Amino acid sequence: MAGGSPRLRLPAALLALFAWALAGPAVSQRAAQVPDDDLSRGAPSRTLDSGVLRAVYLDLLGRPPYRAERDEWLGRQLADLLGELTRGEELWEHWTEEQLYYFLLIDNFRPRSDRVVAIPGDLREGRIGVRDAIHRIVLSSSFDQRNPGPDTFVTVVMEQLLGLTVQKQPRELHIGKQLYDGQEGMFLGRRGRSQADVVKISIEDRRCLSQLLEREYRRLLRRDPDRRELARWTKRLDKDPLAYRDLFRDWIQSEAYEQRLSEEIVQPNRLYVRSMYVDLVDRLPDKEEERRMRNALDGLSDPGPLRAVLARLLLDSGTAALPAKDEIEDPTAWVGGLFERLYGRAATPTELKSFVTAFHDPACRPATVLYALVSHPEYHSF
Amino acid sequence: MTRPTFTRRSVLSGSAGALAGAALVGASPHALASAALLRERKTKHVILVAFAGGVRTRETLDTPDNVPVLKQMADEGVVYPRTRTANLGHFGAAMSIFTGISEARGIRENARGPDPTVFEYVRRDAGLSASEVWMSTSGGAQQANYAYSTHSEYGPAFGANTLDGDGVFNQEFKDIVDRFGRPREMDGREVELLERMRGSIESGDDAGGVNTAETARQVERYILDELTRGTADLRGVNAGDAKSLQVARNLMLMFRPKLLGVSLQNADVAHGSYNSYVEVVRRNDVALGELWEVVRSDDSLRESTAIIVLPEFGRDRDLNSRRGLDHGDGSDDLNYVSTVCWGPDFKRGHVVNREVRTIDVCPTVCDMLGAKARMARGRKLPQLFG
Repeated sequence: MAGGSPRLRLPAALLALFAWALAGPAVSQRAAQVPDDDLSRGAPSRTLDSGVLRAVYLDLLGRPPYRAERDEWLGRQLADLLGELTRGEELWEHWTEEQLYYFLLIDNFRPRSDRVVAIPGDLREGRIGVRDAIHRIVLSSSFDQRNPGPDTFVTVVMEQLLGLTVQKQPRELHIGKQLYDGQEGMFLGRRGRSQADVVKISIEDRRCLSQLLEREYRRLLRRDPDRRELARWTKRLDKDPLAYRDLFRDWIQSEAYEQRLSEEIVQPNRLYVRSMYVDLVDRLPDKEEERRMRNALDGLSDPGPLRAVLARLLLDSGTAALPAKDEIEDPTAWVGGLFERLYGRAATPTELKSFVTAFHDPACRPATVLYALVSHPEYHSF
Repeated sequence: MTRPTFTRRSVLSGSAGALAGAALVGASPHALASAALLRERKTKHVILVAFAGGVRTRETLDTPDNVPVLKQMADEGVVYPRTRTANLGHFGAAMSIFTGISEARGIRENARGPDPTVFEYVRRDAGLSASEVWMSTSGGAQQANYAYSTHSEYGPAFGANTLDGDGVFNQEFKDIVDRFGRPREMDGREVELLERMRGSIESGDDAGGVNTAETARQVERYILDELTRGTADLRGVNAGDAKSLQVARNLMLMFRPKLLGVSLQNADVAHGSYNSYVEVVRRNDVALGELWEVVRSDDSLRESTAIIVLPEFGRDRDLNSRRGLDHGDGSDDLNYVSTVCWGPDFKRGHVVNREVRTIDVCPTVCDMLGAKARMARGRKLPQLFG
């Protein structure tokens, strides 16, 4: 992942903070809609502008908001949105997808068992916690097929679940392989004698929760967590398996998330494909379209050229709902709206002037304007 | 040491970039010292093939019928049959070939490493553009990480353009392109307006990636053209590797890169089937022969191209319970592989029996192309040049 770099999002974020400071949750008309559990935590919420709304949707659902969702949420409170999203299943579907991608259980190795398919619904209903969800994934036959043989299986479990460097733990690796083959042994301080025991012992190890929280924090906040905080969260999640939703709501409303909003990184390809479809067609790609495009993009060290090809394919295919040029009565408003929607920020006067001037040239189509925006590196970041 | 400061654009674009690159080379004592040597050498292009997925010498040079092409290369070049590897998992072990550093990486880790790669050293020191340094892979998203590191002095601006043949040039993706239809050609005026609008966006158009705007357009054109060739239609147990080698062949013809990395992976089918593994080795040898033929049939490339082939590690000595071969027994079959070097400056028919390491390849390639692998821990391969 490329390192973060300050972008034009900062002024928007500061403006929003300023607006929040002036308004305050208590005077917001929307405050009455904040669920009790959010208010009781005492975390100040903030008003959703285009940039924050887009970032939160991308972080939590892996896509930008649909047009109807933008209309519904702009100007409302972040806490309200978080309450709504955590009550829905889509957030947990995205969370599960991110875990599968982390374990590289994609394409032919994608788990299809009922227990894995049920994870998002069970998480939403609070029937299981995130540790149980990971346990189901690692117990799936897909995980076994992806990591064949004792050496690979135990190595991956130790590395990906516990964050261990197996080369520094040759004895534990050796014992884990013995368990995998059905022999009894003390693995990570606990007795076991099967492949399932390797998984169970690892899942129940405190380092598993710590590793999970650490990488989730990095994914959402793009920085390492404070070690003491991490220890506290780990302890909390160990006691209360359902505490994760509260933790990440706290993270998204933290100062660290405010900082994350000011630093953009290149979107992973899986997010880019979904963003492009939502922004240009107002729907998600179907699973096959998403998989094929993502795989193609993942095959390049610099996906920029292929992203540009895909955007042009979509724009020129007639799939994207583009207004006819003569239907656009106010080009300035239209271009300004595109900047808000696609970049999560207002266009600067210079940008507006340049785009509107180009728009009036007979050679410029509405698709040309959209292509200029979605093929630009700023669109590839979030 | 104070390093010269420069932007990727100033180095890479146009004649100004060439001048800046020359100035940079001029500023480097190592480059100055090696310049005379480079002038004497014929090698101007290097193809580095990681014959990876875990391949033992037993099924390659010790069974010449499996690999007639590799055997011929060995007969005409230099072989290091005692090339020491580190069992770091496929990803880590292959990465160490490109970085010259053996460091543990998770088997399923999907992130760039901290150490500069051979591509970054060569692009930076020789002032090469992104279209002159390529990597063709077979292992999906993970192998795209070989292209460049997170090192603050190197990174994407000096990375290789990497294409995973199986990821991009497959029938499924071709179907998507066919369904949408080719993009409409833009006329000159529309392109001009497009560039003007893009240029006005105040966050700047440097994506921090491998390509400049110019090389990105070349890559765009190449991808669209390659999709209409037959690469997407390749099938079989080594389909991924075959595509990687075919893409490498086409890249050699179209871009004539100074450095082309190729990474294979399908031999890892060995976990479940020894016979399939041998079949992959045989087919990959045939595909390697086609790549070699591109070089040998071109008057210019034949006299200026070196090829280095080595696995990242071998496999276990004995079959597992599935009649396959894992990689974890610590045997010599696993820990030692054969490195084959063929090129206009190398000795012919020479076997070096002293122990070398897979991490020695990175500094060797750098040296051949006028770069210095500053962070690598390997040494240049001994007794290589004639």
